[in-house]
Amino acid sequence: MHHLSKSRNFAIMLIPSVAVYTLYIVISVFVAIYYSFTKYSGVGVEKWVGLKNYKRLLTDRYFIIALSNTGIILVVALITLVVLGFLLANLLHQKLKIKGVCQALIYIPIVIAPIVVGVIWLFILDPSYGFINNFLRYIGLGDYSRSWIGAKNNLAAYSIAFIYFWRNLGYIATIFLTGINMISDEIYEAAGIDGVNWFTKMIYITIPMLKETITIVIVLVVTGVFKVLEIVTQLTNGGPNHLSETLVTYSYTVSFNTGEYGYGMSIATVTFMISLVFSLFYINVINKKGK
Amino acid sequence: MLLIKRVNKEGIKGIMRGKRKKAILTIVLILVTLVMIFPLLWVVILSFKTSAQIFSEPFILPKRFDLTNYIKVFKVMNLSILYKNTAIIGFFSVTLSIIITFMSSFSLSRMVFKHKKLKDYLYNYFLLGLTIPPMILLFPVYRLTVSMHLFGTYLSLILPYTAMNIAFNTLLFVGFFNDFPGEVEEAAIIDGCGLRRLCTTVVAPMAKPIISTVLIFNVLYIWNEYPFASVLISNTEKYTIPMGSAFFKGMFSMDYGGLIASSVIIMVPQLIFYGIFQRYIVGGMTAGAVKG
Repeated sequence: MHHLSKSRNFAIMLIPSVAVYTLYIVISVFVAIYYSFTKYSGVGVEKWVGLKNYKRLLTDRYFIIALSNTGIILVVALITLVVLGFLLANLLHQKLKIKGVCQALIYIPIVIAPIVVGVIWLFILDPSYGFINNFLRYIGLGDYSRSWIGAKNNLAAYSIAFIYFWRNLGYIATIFLTGINMISDEIYEAAGIDGVNWFTKMIYITIPMLKETITIVIVLVVTGVFKVLEIVTQLTNGGPNHLSETLVTYSYTVSFNTGEYGYGMSIATVTFMISLVFSLFYINVINKKGK
Repeated sequence: MLLIKRVNKEGIKGIMRGKRKKAILTIVLILVTLVMIFPLLWVVILSFKTSAQIFSEPFILPKRFDLTNYIKVFKVMNLSILYKNTAIIGFFSVTLSIIITFMSSFSLSRMVFKHKKLKDYLYNYFLLGLTIPPMILLFPVYRLTVSMHLFGTYLSLILPYTAMNIAFNTLLFVGFFNDFPGEVEEAAIIDGCGLRRLCTTVVAPMAKPIISTVLIFNVLYIWNEYPFASVLISNTEKYTIPMGSAFFKGMFSMDYGGLIASSVIIMVPQLIFYGIFQRYIVGGMTAGAVKG
């Protein structure tokens, strides 16, 4: 391999990927950050305004709402996905006859286009014609029906978190399952002979051995939240009156619907910075694994 | 004798308890599965009801399979154009991204770098792309596309889709090559095989399984991609499948039957695709996340 490693060969093999990636991803990030310091309406030339956009963020009520909604989605999705994903993986790890079929079915939501996912859940969550409220009324629990979306409360953020949970549960459980399968059976058997119960096994064997998997799951869930756009636009379009907006949808709306590209990019930059912190964690874990 | 009896009794009890535990776990698993796939079944049921029924009596099952919604959607929605556009963009983008990331990953895994650190830096440089929120890229890529006079062409989407897949492909390809012994390649090199022939006739055939996984993933990404398409395509003639779906949300905003039927029409081919390639999809996604 050594004598094939000439500079010319390096150039041929690496330049296409590096060029496309640098141009479209890396430079784009810097361009976005540059625009976040400007005022640009889509026509003419952008005007440098310094930190003005960022100062405006602090006093923008809708930005604060978007930030808090994103926070709610992050926390709820993280807790539910890590805990229930882990439990489901343990359930799928049991030697049950139907587990193959069930795993395949539970995995489906991650494959479906997010744009369709939004529509599907619209007909589950809508306060008047959605499934949940009608079901509750049907079984006589109508008092528990709520305005899951489209009302002046922050339930929509929880609804979006739940949809995100639904979409990712099978995926996260499968990742946990792969991790659990890598723990050798002998360790469990040894523990089983000693009469250790399931819960103790989990706390003292499974969870400590899945440390890396858990880190990866957390990073995937967190960075995934910053990729959610279509589900929200289809479900509520950020409404009513921007109350169900997330950082991503608000940035999209401000940029492409209102045409305040500079301000929109400052929201995108904040989102990117939060996500970047988690990305670095991820790279760190991947690199440790490679060695 | 008494002792043996007791052991037997314990054993049977143990088996009984094991069986009961299994039955309970099976029921729990079935319930979870039903809850998970219920939303999909629900929209399929709704799609056979008229818009008025969906709104006025959402909870009553359709009395007969009314196909009006589907007929309407097929009339309004030009599915052949949506699929044609997605197929053209998908074909060129996936081919391009697989070829270039195969090459770069092979050299990242196998070739001898003069500066060893540079190799790690490059690998991490690509991996960072995995976690970048696409939102921050939309406007810059739009500007870039306009400045290259590509706006509204197929290339306007082919290139960003290629770029977006580079990170994921690198993760999978490099992971595969690192796990794969290099002896066959060394033997081929000693036989005087050049780099191009080495890649096309020796390495690529061996990497078939990982290439299939990467291929399926890239196809799925493009099939589902909406944010870039919504910014870079304005002509309905060039709409991709997700764009068509969003467009019909706007059109059918008061026509729930049409909206649901169009969603089912988008969803069903994806379910078939998943059914066929399930092994690759589940395997590839977890390998990408877990193995590194």
